[in-house]
Amino acid sequence: MRRIIAQTRKELTQIVRDWRTLLLALILPLILLVLLGNAISLSVTDLPIVVQDLDSSPSSRELIDAFRSSLTLRVVAWPTNKQPDEALTTNTARAVLIVPNRFERELKRGVDTPVQIIVDASDANTARLIAGYANQIIAAHNRQSSALSIQQPVQAAIRLWYNPGRSSKRFYGPGIFVLALSIFPPLLAALAMAKEEDQKTILQVYVSNIRASEFLLGKVLAFMTVALAETLVMMVLLFTYFGLSFAGDPTPFLAATILYAFCVASFGTMIGANIPNQAAAMQAVALGGFLLVFLLSGLIFPIENIPGSLRWLSYFIWGRYYIEIVRDAFLQGGGWPAVWSKTLVIGLIGCFFFALAWVGKRRMQVKA
Amino acid sequence: MIGRIFKKLSGSRISALFRKELNQIRRDRRLALSLIVPPVLQLTLFGFALSARVENVPLGVVDESRSKESRDLIAALTESRSFQSAGSFFSVEQLSEAISNGSLIAGIVIPTDFARDLQRGRPTTVQFLLNATNSNSAAISQGYAEAVIQNYNAQLRLEGFRTMTSMSVNRIGQTSLHPAFLFNPGLKDSWFITTGVLGLLLILNSSIVASGAMVKEREAGTIEQLLMSPAGTAEIIVSKIAPLFLLLSAMMFIALIMIKTVFDVPFHGGLLPVIGGGALCVLTGIGIGTAIATFSKSAQQALLTGFFINPPLVSLSGALNPVEAMPKWLQPLTIINPIHHFASIARGSMLKGSGLDALWPNFLGLTIITIVLLSLSVWRFRKQLS
Repeated sequence: MRRIIAQTRKELTQIVRDWRTLLLALILPLILLVLLGNAISLSVTDLPIVVQDLDSSPSSRELIDAFRSSLTLRVVAWPTNKQPDEALTTNTARAVLIVPNRFERELKRGVDTPVQIIVDASDANTARLIAGYANQIIAAHNRQSSALSIQQPVQAAIRLWYNPGRSSKRFYGPGIFVLALSIFPPLLAALAMAKEEDQKTILQVYVSNIRASEFLLGKVLAFMTVALAETLVMMVLLFTYFGLSFAGDPTPFLAATILYAFCVASFGTMIGANIPNQAAAMQAVALGGFLLVFLLSGLIFPIENIPGSLRWLSYFIWGRYYIEIVRDAFLQGGGWPAVWSKTLVIGLIGCFFFALAWVGKRRMQVKA
Repeated sequence: MIGRIFKKLSGSRISALFRKELNQIRRDRRLALSLIVPPVLQLTLFGFALSARVENVPLGVVDESRSKESRDLIAALTESRSFQSAGSFFSVEQLSEAISNGSLIAGIVIPTDFARDLQRGRPTTVQFLLNATNSNSAAISQGYAEAVIQNYNAQLRLEGFRTMTSMSVNRIGQTSLHPAFLFNPGLKDSWFITTGVLGLLLILNSSIVASGAMVKEREAGTIEQLLMSPAGTAEIIVSKIAPLFLLLSAMMFIALIMIKTVFDVPFHGGLLPVIGGGALCVLTGIGIGTAIATFSKSAQQALLTGFFINPPLVSLSGALNPVEAMPKWLQPLTIINPIHHFASIARGSMLKGSGLDALWPNFLGLTIITIVLLSLSVWRFRKQLS
């Protein structure tokens, strides 16, 4: 036990003495949280659209005013002598709304009249959103203009749960927090481990009386401390800037965070123990910690959208389970019954990484 | 004429240094690997896995009406691919429990007097519950649900349903919306993602490879040998950058071939604008990498410094999500982001088929960024050499 603590202390001292590493460990997660939490969302506001009113009648102007008053779309001016498509190719607008001539006359005659919206679909998700919003605006406009003559037979009362304002900051904040925890602690752990090998200080470890398990446990404990310190700083930001708070019982979150810290520290140590080269170890962590957790954990894009041939991979991604626990703790508040199995899986994956690290270093001998 | 220039070049110091660099690169097997593996891996993973499409949202049903009308409405919701029936529940409590433990994303509650109200020509309300944790999916699902119910209403009206108030004679026509999706009628998310990832890939990998190559000379101490050689600083710099540029351009072609064959992205504007923009990106990446290398003493420091620069560069580029989704005060920053300019060029040229007349601001921006970064790195490198 004493030897483990000594190893941990040595590791932490090393981190504190190198300002670059310290900065990386404590400040960079915060920067990442603010930047990505703000910038990565998919929910858009103020999308520029161009309107071509071929009718210019009171009715058509009313419809266009309905579009003007929307928060999501912003009507921008476009000279009438220019082709509307050009607004899309020059990125002036995301969509063009075309009101046909005789729009008002047809409406007055009681005929249903189509207006066309041409959407720049080079960004498919935004295109879907624009079409959806335009549809909602027109439906509301119809209801308003014909309030006296027609009432909709079925009305939908849509309730948005857990995140009523559909605020993306509340959704992405916890996700970025998980992402930061999945990159930085393992990165530092892998670098520290690979450095011993690179600078041959590992030989000193081999000749000392410390056992492989104690040596590794000391390292893992040190980087668990780093991970928990990062958690603490980032929580402050989540509570203040992101306006989050615990939705229910916080104990599952605490337990899962400690296990996740163990999991990522073991992952980094495992990589460092098996790849004795700092640059290569770093690339491996970047791939495992960043790319896999970023893409396959449901952080931004729903897991259900990953094609089946790749989706099974997500069951092995440790970040996936932790994201679900964190979102539950902050948004849904399902507590232990909802997340106990996920907590267990995180612990299991952590033990698996630790075992792999131990297998790599078990013999504590220079490979011949 | 050309032969003479070539002869002169081949005997010069530049070409000797150039050959030395090329040989060094050729012997480094890991470098070759890091030129092929990242583009292939990143493009496949990003292209296939990043899709914001909302389909088959699991929908729970509480049908208290149990009538033909309510079953019609449920069928209308689930026959589109947007929602998928995930069983019925007896009470609202059961339904909300299933939503809170995550097995359902959406739920619909149809009241007892749903059918009776409709038959009597009275408007009725159904409750639609949506887990809005994921704000984007929620917005899209909400749009789907509203559209389906609108269609259902239109159908009811066709079938002769009349509300009490609609008996009035002067009916006003309804406006309907015909959306047309230009440039990507199939609404393939991968077209947006891969064109964005291409720029990201070029800049990030170029900067990593360049910083590694530049710092190596310093770490190994061979920089003194270079200083003692008769070659001038300009010659050293050119011969360092040129082979890297060739190599990274090869990576660009691998990526372009993948984008064309695997993801079937069209090249409406031809290859030239993309390749031109890509070459500028590679140079920018080399500039970033060299600048990082001159500020670092070891490979480890260079790699760590990269971690401070790359994530903001990627997340504020609009390569993976629309620029309009960023906060207002951050949006103007995209003008100094090379990835943003390249993404606009790639999307404009490949998907929209726009030419230089529409893309010149982005080319201008990218060129200025390239020149600034390259001169900064050359200046720093020179200072280091002398």
